[in-house]
Amino acid sequence: METVINGYISQEFVRDTALLPLADETPLLESGILDSLSLLQLVVFLEEKFGITVGDTDLLPQNFETVNSICAYLRAREPEMQNAQG
Amino acid sequence: MAYLLQHLLTETAARTPQRLAIASGDCRLSYEELDRLSTKVARSLRRLGVGRGDRVAILAPKSAAAVAGLYGVLKAGACYVPLDPKAPAQRLSYVVRDSGATVIIADEARLELAATLVTSSGDLAEPGTVLAMGLSGQRGASTAACAQAYYAAIRPWAEVAAESAEPLGQDLAIETDLAYILYTSGSTGTPKGVMISHRNSLTFVEWAAAAAGLTAQDRVCSPAPLHFDLSVFDIFATCLAGACMSVIPDGTTTFPISIAKWLESEHLSVWYSVPSVLTLLACFGSLSNFDLSRLRTVIFAGEVFPPKYLARLMAELPHCRYLNWYGPTETNVCTAFEVAVGDGDGGPVPIGRACANTEVFAVTCDGRRVSSPSEEGELYVRGPALMRGYWGQPAKTQEVLVPHPLGDGHGELVYRTGDLVTLGPEGNYIYLGRRDSMVKIRGYRVELGEVEAAIYRHPAVREAAVVPVTDELLGSRLRAVVAVDDAASLTREALLDHCRRWLPTYMVPDIAEFRETLPRTSTGKVDRTLLARE
Repeated sequence: METVINGYISQEFVRDTALLPLADETPLLESGILDSLSLLQLVVFLEEKFGITVGDTDLLPQNFETVNSICAYLRAREPEMQNAQG
Repeated sequence: MAYLLQHLLTETAARTPQRLAIASGDCRLSYEELDRLSTKVARSLRRLGVGRGDRVAILAPKSAAAVAGLYGVLKAGACYVPLDPKAPAQRLSYVVRDSGATVIIADEARLELAATLVTSSGDLAEPGTVLAMGLSGQRGASTAACAQAYYAAIRPWAEVAAESAEPLGQDLAIETDLAYILYTSGSTGTPKGVMISHRNSLTFVEWAAAAAGLTAQDRVCSPAPLHFDLSVFDIFATCLAGACMSVIPDGTTTFPISIAKWLESEHLSVWYSVPSVLTLLACFGSLSNFDLSRLRTVIFAGEVFPPKYLARLMAELPHCRYLNWYGPTETNVCTAFEVAVGDGDGGPVPIGRACANTEVFAVTCDGRRVSSPSEEGELYVRGPALMRGYWGQPAKTQEVLVPHPLGDGHGELVYRTGDLVTLGPEGNYIYLGRRDSMVKIRGYRVELGEVEAAIYRHPAVREAAVVPVTDELLGSRLRAVVAVDDAASLTREALLDHCRRWLPTYMVPDIAEFRETLPRTSTGKVDRTLLARE
């Protein structure tokens, strides 16, 4: 999961190559990698890739601070993901 | 009578000295405090030799200190040049050099960058100066070290604070002098400086305060940074009304819910931004969970608001007024339209009619005035809000400030916008598109030619074309299609890295593709239409 998300963010949003390779602990918000629009694009990707719906109230800084926090958020929603796949 | 922008501040400070002028995080300044502080800045600048007609750059995010700084520049009789704090050093260096600014007011985080910029700004006999801004303490040792490392004099804020706050006496400037220069994307590869005089700006500011119905009770916010002309509204129109300018903390606009939460806690009453922020707020802001009853007016400008998302916002916040303002930086806002429920149902929301003290008209390609909905033409603007020209570029100025195309015989110059419009049945203008290859990215103007010029600076690039990719929710994004001599010589990362060195983030392409050659039209030009359709 980390590899997939890290790869997608690196490919789509990292414009400052000094930040590559992207660490799973790199702050995505402070570094400007994620802004309001790239965040939405990421949400669309996560929804399609993992079969979940990211609610408005989940769009919070703590869920998107790093690749790790995105994964933690997704893991917390694992039951939903399994239902979607099953 | 206010004929200079800083008079708005001195008059309001005399009328309501104790009222809150700015709320920026924990920093709150009353009108009296803001007035006194900006006088101190002006005195510091005068001491540095800054006077009428000089340019002073400001390198800082929007904050109480930055606003005091820009009023200080105006009070010194000079004109301010706001720099984009997020732009790469190369571009900032160009702007500093081009504008001839020898003093930069910078916040503490950007002291070194500012020192590099004034140092690199050409053949200065005297070192450039950085005025280190900060309302908190002083910066002793690091300021000295910085001054030593660069050929720049660093004046600490403590020196500003020690200046007298006694008014400076009679103003040297007159209303046709420049108040600020805003740099915007230029099609030939370098940004161009739009010169705005006090009169140009006040024409807009006085109209805008009345059109938005601002009162001293309002709390006004625009998230636009200082170098973006939307910020003229929350800085100066708010001051005219004696209302409070609220500065939204950096990063808040990334999360729609954070914006909604901030609007609620700040008791914000008037909001002015580009539509994309409002689209996100409407779709992902959970607006029903917040009490936004204080928010009474929502104004948007800078690009087209997709009607679907505007309708959604209006349904979420039905108690607000919605105003669509239109106008290039060169003209200030020149038309306005108040949106009623259902206005966007049958197509785009109109840009409306001319603002007070402004005339707009459209001319068809065969030189007739557009007078019915069946005709389309290019929009022209006439009036005291028009810019003085592009800084140092008389030829470029002449391309856009032109004699009246319908020959009214007064000899007055009018501005040709490059925007194509038609006239709706109710007499409102409706925006159709551009005559050239300028696009809007989150409200910022981007000349595709400037992005291409930056890409061409890379030695491995043989051919390049940049085309917009439109997405209703995300707005326009840029796609670069590039042909290189040796496919191994340039990676996507290296290309984007190269772009970042020359361009601000919003101009760096989101998508980069490599090809052996670019498609051509029958006349041998790069076929952008084909690329845009792919």
